[in-house]
Amino acid sequence: MDIKPIVELQNLTKVIGNKKIIDNISLSLYPGQITGFLGPNGAGKTTTIRMMVGLMKRTSGEILIDGKSLSEDFEEGLSKVGVIVENPEMYKFMSGYKNLLHFARMQKNISKERINEVVTQVGLEQRIHEKVSTYSLGMRQRLGLAQALLHRPKFLILDEPTNGLDPAGIREFREHLRTIAETEGVSVFVSSHMLSEIELMCDRIAVIQNGRLVDIRDMAETTQSHYYLELSPAEDAKSLLISNGFTIELLPVGLLLQAEKDQIPFIIQLLTSNKIDVYAVHPHRKTLEDQFLEMTGGGQIAESHTK
Amino acid sequence: MLNLIQNEWMKLWAKKGTWVMTILLIISVIGLMGLTKWINNQDRTEATDWKSNAQEQINYTKEALELDLPEMERKQNEETVKVLEYRLANNIPPLAEDGRESLIINPVGVGSFVVLLTVIAAAGIVASEFSQGTIKMLLTRPVSRWKIMTAKYITVLLFGILLMSIGFAVTVISAYILFPSGAGQELKLVGNAIVPVSVWGHGLYMLVLSFANVLITATFAFMIGSVFRSNGMAIGLSLFIFFTGNTIALLLSQYEVAKYLVFTHMNLTMYETNSVFVDGITMPFSLVVLAVYIVVFLVISYTVFTKRDITA
Repeated sequence: MDIKPIVELQNLTKVIGNKKIIDNISLSLYPGQITGFLGPNGAGKTTTIRMMVGLMKRTSGEILIDGKSLSEDFEEGLSKVGVIVENPEMYKFMSGYKNLLHFARMQKNISKERINEVVTQVGLEQRIHEKVSTYSLGMRQRLGLAQALLHRPKFLILDEPTNGLDPAGIREFREHLRTIAETEGVSVFVSSHMLSEIELMCDRIAVIQNGRLVDIRDMAETTQSHYYLELSPAEDAKSLLISNGFTIELLPVGLLLQAEKDQIPFIIQLLTSNKIDVYAVHPHRKTLEDQFLEMTGGGQIAESHTK
Repeated sequence: MLNLIQNEWMKLWAKKGTWVMTILLIISVIGLMGLTKWINNQDRTEATDWKSNAQEQINYTKEALELDLPEMERKQNEETVKVLEYRLANNIPPLAEDGRESLIINPVGVGSFVVLLTVIAAAGIVASEFSQGTIKMLLTRPVSRWKIMTAKYITVLLFGILLMSIGFAVTVISAYILFPSGAGQELKLVGNAIVPVSVWGHGLYMLVLSFANVLITATFAFMIGSVFRSNGMAIGLSLFIFFTGNTIALLLSQYEVAKYLVFTHMNLTMYETNSVFVDGITMPFSLVVLAVYIVVFLVISYTVFTKRDITA
């Protein structure tokens, strides 16, 4: 990709005691893209995110935001970042508006108009002057989003943003994020252990396990590269396809083929010319869960869950 | 920086507790004045002649001077005698005990109340960010941690100054309402001359001296609050020191180490009320000791706060 990344993690490492919590992570995040950060509990998602936003110090490695090192100029770096760390804890004894005013004062040049604009954007106009303690969880989440957007960040980072939201809330939140990424070209980084959530929201996923980055892949690529074929006789088809260099997986009915879209006509021709009856061919969308388990290896997840 | 202080000030006053504390201060000061009035009314016995009182005190103090006294106590006694003799010679009565001037010249109660209340604010200003969980919102802004810390500390000091001013204002107002103007003039020895003391000037001076106590106790609470992130612990420890400090200093007063303990110097008004009980300390010395303690407390607070990993 030739677009300049907004955020780059370079060999990021965090050691607590003598335990490596984060082990040499390198990752780039690009404008307009929503990147999911996936991993079992305790894999190091939160630690990585906290290092990126200045809540924790890194042991070694670099964090570059818009090309500048966070350790050299913290204030400059973070002025481009909007953050929601888990449930956004607001000052409950103040109104939503005062909370926004509070965070606006910590940024440079945010006008009253901008505050009102963000309030409208997240749809809190009706209740913004009421105390946050009277807000529902969904409203607090919206207020959390509002404070993260105040300064028009180039990079939005969210740690488990949908924790505790109801399905409608999650959906609404997801749509908000999409809009922001697409219309304002913001790069979004979302951590979650909820696979289905990430699947619906993200363009790209980075998988972390035991402090290491296990895999980075584009969702589009991963979801379209498998095709489901229903045919008979399956055994003949299997040996034929394997001898032509394809990777397949035999299912109880039909088989799963790993191939690119433009190879499909050739495959069909190949099969029919070898007297194999093809009943159906359709792209198989492996669920992210399958991929996730594949990438992390099922057993190890269970292990880290019990920690 | 001004923005950050504005933020802290806004958060402080958005809490009900702050208003309750302020109202409590006003009620306490008024209550104290009322109590003084009541006591004055109770033992309005025979109005003794100030001259015979003064003579009695001169004789008594002179007798004491015959004994082998420590240097400091001797000086204090000699000063007392000189002032009293000057009063008798020039017929200048002391401030009337039931006059408003004698209350304004020494607004003692205000300092102690303000210490209690400022400690509560100082203990909570960092610790509560942790207990509310707002610390992660606060520290993920493009503002260095030391700036946030400074804004918080300045806010505590401003709060202390505000409470001091409110306390003094309430003292003056209730003194004017409850007490008549009394005759008399406060005197003190400066070098070898006896000079009159201004009621307002001295009252404000006492207030500034008692602010040292507010400053040191609040800074201590601020440190405990930011190191241990516990509001209650900070309040508890600070008030423990505030209340037992004097006793500890008294117990250790005969040892050299007492000179360097913070407790010995917390109450600077002792230099004005002649109640210094540790040998060889002076006002400048006390100021230096207090300054060193404050710097140490602040260095600890800042270091811990700026280095800490936020994991909560």
